[in-house]
This record gives sequence, structure tokens and C-alpha cells, in this order.
Amino acid sequence: MRTGDFKQTYGELVTLVDSPPVWLWSAVLVAGLVVAPFVLNSYALSFLMIILITVVGALGLNILTGYTGLISLGHVGFLVTGAYAYAVLVSKYHMHPLVGFLGAGVVPALASLIVGAPSLRLKGLYLAITTLAFSFIINTVILEARWLTSGARGIPVQRPEIFGFSFDSDAAFTYLCLGFAILTLFATLNIRRSRVGRAFVAIRDNDTAARVMGINLHAYKLFAFVTSAFITGLAGALYGIYLSFVSVEGFPFLLSIEALAILIVGGLGSALGAVLGTILIVLLPEATRLVFSLFSAQMDAMFTTGAQELKSMLYGLVIILFLRFQPRGLVGAWHDIRRMWVNWPLRY
Amino acid sequence: MQYLIQLLISGLAIGAIYGLIAMGFAVIYKSTGLVNFAQGEMTMITAYIAWTISTTVSGNVFVVALGAILAAVVLGLVIERVVMRPMLGEPVFATVMVTIGLAVILRSSINFIWDAYPHGLDVGVGRTIVRIGSIGVRTGQIAVIATLLALLAAIWAFFRYSKIGVAMRAVAADDRTALLMGISATRVHALAWAASSVIAGIGGVFFALSYDLSPAMFQLGLKAFPATILGGLDAVIGSGLGGLLIGITENLAGGYVGSGMKEVAGFAMIIVVLMIRPFGIFGERDIERV
Repeated sequence: MRTGDFKQTYGELVTLVDSPPVWLWSAVLVAGLVVAPFVLNSYALSFLMIILITVVGALGLNILTGYTGLISLGHVGFLVTGAYAYAVLVSKYHMHPLVGFLGAGVVPALASLIVGAPSLRLKGLYLAITTLAFSFIINTVILEARWLTSGARGIPVQRPEIFGFSFDSDAAFTYLCLGFAILTLFATLNIRRSRVGRAFVAIRDNDTAARVMGINLHAYKLFAFVTSAFITGLAGALYGIYLSFVSVEGFPFLLSIEALAILIVGGLGSALGAVLGTILIVLLPEATRLVFSLFSAQMDAMFTTGAQELKSMLYGLVIILFLRFQPRGLVGAWHDIRRMWVNWPLRY
Repeated sequence: MQYLIQLLISGLAIGAIYGLIAMGFAVIYKSTGLVNFAQGEMTMITAYIAWTISTTVSGNVFVVALGAILAAVVLGLVIERVVMRPMLGEPVFATVMVTIGLAVILRSSINFIWDAYPHGLDVGVGRTIVRIGSIGVRTGQIAVIATLLALLAAIWAFFRYSKIGVAMRAVAADDRTALLMGISATRVHALAWAASSVIAGIGGVFFALSYDLSPAMFQLGLKAFPATILGGLDAVIGSGLGGLLIGITENLAGGYVGSGMKEVAGFAMIIVVLMIRPFGIFGERDIERV
């Protein structure tokens, strides 16, 4: 009798998915997402777009915080850098959108070298603090460099047109976001199972042991910084296009907290966790609003007046409750349920 | 010259507020080993409670001060008991993230309980301008510098001579051995949270006295952060002095370089400090053995 999910060979450890049915389910999911823009109304579609964009950013942070174990409180800094890189290249200098996306990845990656290189000596809390400082400094730099970024006025951004195909409509833009999300998912899954990804996880689990085994801590930590910033920058560009306007106010510090909340709720260090966490965190305010409106119109009114406050309060509450009761996140809960299903009626 | 002295004095005044909040950070770090990212929010709530007391119950200075201190003690104890104690023994990442979650909740509850507009805390003192030579200083600004210095001396004596202070140092140094020696770690933690809440709360009330209180006050916590890094996360006295240093630096950068620099001078400074002496000027270098 099968008593669990055991990996017996090295090859099984580095496969992309656990079992063939996962491919089938993924295909069904992708097919559903492809059909979705035709079925959903524009309100629901905007949630789908936000989820897809946020997945890209969450997967980016997951490389740094989830895989390598380096806490970043300043990822919104990379997000805003990416958005500005795209806006400046495309809106201001009228470059090709693909060049814009490339810039949106490369510029934050370079910025991450600047913040990452001096941070290599630091661990844990101290790193969190320097990244936090970085996100505030980058905001000031953007506001001061008016010749490039228009300062506090911000830059309007058009939906892109790539090789004659316009992404102007919501449905088309959703496909663009979907493309980025799938590419990022594949990229991060592949990083995780490659030599590099295993080095990241080794650093997270025990950096001293990793170094003894010949992993160059500095090089790999920097690499984690750069890849993470590259992907996060792309998410920033997409978010800027979605907002159709890039400004410092469009990227509040709360986004950094939201990103960490996503990883914690989903399950740190798991790509599936990042996706599940994104869906939960993005839909949480909406779901709560629905529940509240069932009770009474008065509560619904309270929600519309204090929407922003309630939203951030929910994020805080969700972070605390998950850390307290389910520190492994939704993925952990899913593993528990699966094990219960296999082992029932025995507990183990 | 006069401009410089004016900048220095107002830098010292705001720096003393940073110093008080930074001491709040350090007290918690020293006895529980975690950075409380909700410090700025706790400061803000104490200031708001002081304002509520002054407008609804009594505008008497002593009533307001006593009420604010009591409220800060209760706030610190409740947070420790309800939120932090269940997280005992969890990894640092988890506990620090809990304080971040707490910060987000407290920050948004300000807008919920009170409102989003700025208010002045007026208790009849603190706003009169005293002239020293040709330079005008608010009495509140002098009072906060004096309070910081007095608290620094008191805390130094507390950690050095009192039994509880020694116990707190013992828990910070090695909590298991401290437990074996019969020191209740949970009681020490609760005390640390209450003390930190009060010290930072005093800073918040002084800020509201000299300037205004608004929901943006939580940023004081972010500003005080560089101060505690500069002084050393585990150095309570050092953090207080670090606050003065950050305040002066910030004001000089703002006065001579540009208003944008004022916002980031502290952060730029800690990045440099972290590169050179990650444990701060007065902090203890912890040696990692392999």
C-alpha cells in the first residue's frame, strides 16, 4: 500500500511536476484562463489582470525570500524602478515596447546590484532594514530626478502594441499578463530545480553548511538579488501599464507588505504557494466585502468609506493568523489534506 | 552662523524624539531579540490617546501625562500577551513578520478610531517660544531634550543597579540560563514591551506637543530606525544618542543640501553604518562560531 509521497531517485527530486496528472490539470487551468477574457465581465477581468500581474511579482520575491531566505522589505523599490524604466523608455523616448520590457527588467537588476553588493555582509533583520532604506531612497531619487521622471507629476503609459498586435483591450492585455505569468512560473520552477536553485535553498537552510559544500555565498546571494529584481521589475512595468499612469504614489510601501503576506499565506519557498497566496490576498478584500454586504447595508457602507483601511487591516490580520496557526501556508494546508486523504482513517 | 545654530537646535529637538522611539526599539531588542516594526505605530497610538484625553476629559498637563503613560503600559502589555507571547520559540522571521502585521493593523485602526486629519495637542505648555540670545526655541523642544537625557540616566542606572534590570540583561544574554537561575522570561518580556511602549509613547506625545499629530506619525518609527541601528540595536543608551545624531544630520542635510535629502539622510547613513559597523557604534559585536 502506498503510504506517502516518496522520492526514491535523484531524478524524481528535480522533475518539474510531481506526477503526470498535474500536467493535465495545468492544461485545463490554462485553457480556462484563455477562455476567461471572453466570459468574464470587465469587473471580474480586472481582478484576473491584477492576479496575473501580482503572480509575476510574488514569484520574483519568492526567489529572494522564499528560496534564498533573504528577507526584503523594499521590493516595492524594484517594482517602481521597473515601472519607471518602462515608462521612460516607451512613453518618453518612444522605444519599442519589447525594449521597454527589457529595460524594466535590466534597470532594477542593476539597482539590485547596488543594494545587494553592500548587503552581502548582512543577514536577516539587517538586510531587511537596508532593503527598506533602499525603497525610501529610490522614491526620493525618482522625485528629485525631474529631468528623467517628471518628478511628482508621473508619466502616463499607453497599452503597448507589439509587432502590429495591439494590447489595448482588456482581454488582449490579460493575455499579455497571462504570457508573462506563465513564463515567470516556468522560469522560477526551472531555477528551483537547477543547480542554482538548489544552492539557493542550501543557503536558506544553513549558510555555513552551504559554504562548506563549496557554494560561493556572495555570488549566489547576488544572483538571487538580480533575478528577483529582474522579475519584480517586469511585474512593475505590467502594473504601470495596468494603471496607465506611473507615479511614486501608485506604488505605496504597503505593496512590500502585501508581497510578504502573499508568500507567507501561500507558503514560503513554493511556486505553487506564491500563486495560491496571490489569489487569496488579491481576492480577500473583495470576498470580505461580499460577506459583509450579506449581513447588512450598514456594514457594506462602512466598507466603502473605509475600504483602504480595512484592506490593510485584513492583510495584517491574515499575516498574524497564518504565522500563528499555519506557518507553512496554504501549500502546507494542502499537503496536510492530501496526507489525510491517503492515510484516512489513520492519522499518520 | 545663526542659521547653523537654529538648525542644530531644532535637529536636537527632533533627534531627542527619534532617540526616545529608538530606545523603545532597543529595549525590546535587548530583552526579546526581535525588532518591533510596530514601534512607530505604538508611539502614534499613545499620542492619539493623549490627545483624546486632553480634549474630552481634561486638559490638565499632569492628567494627560498620567493617562498617556497608563495607556502605553496597557497597550504594551496587551500586545505582548495577545500577539507576541504565542509566538515564543518561533523563528525570528515569523516573529518579525508578526510585528509587521501588527504595525499594519494599528496604522489602519488610527484612521478607523480617530480620523485622517491633523490635530494639535494643546495642553497649555510647550508652545511658548523662549529666546536664547537671538534664537527662538519652543519650551516643548527644550523639555524633550531634557526628558531624553533624564531617561538615559535613569535607564542606565536601572540596567546597572536594579534587580529587574540585571534580570533583563540576563534574559537577553542567554534566556535558557536565565530560566535556570529562576528568572521568569515571560515576565521580563512583558516588562520590556510595557517599558518600550511608555518610552516611545513619551516621544510621541512630545512630538504632538511641538508639531501636530496626524496618521502619518507612524513614519517617526521609520525615522527612529536609523537611530537605533546607528547606536546599536542592543544598546539602549546608544540608541538614544543615535537619535540625537540622526536628528542633527537630517536637519543639516535638509538645511544645506535640499529638502529631499532630509527624508533620506538617515537611511543613507544607516546603509553606510551597516557596511562598516553592522552592530552600531555602541552595540556589542556578536561573534559567530562555526
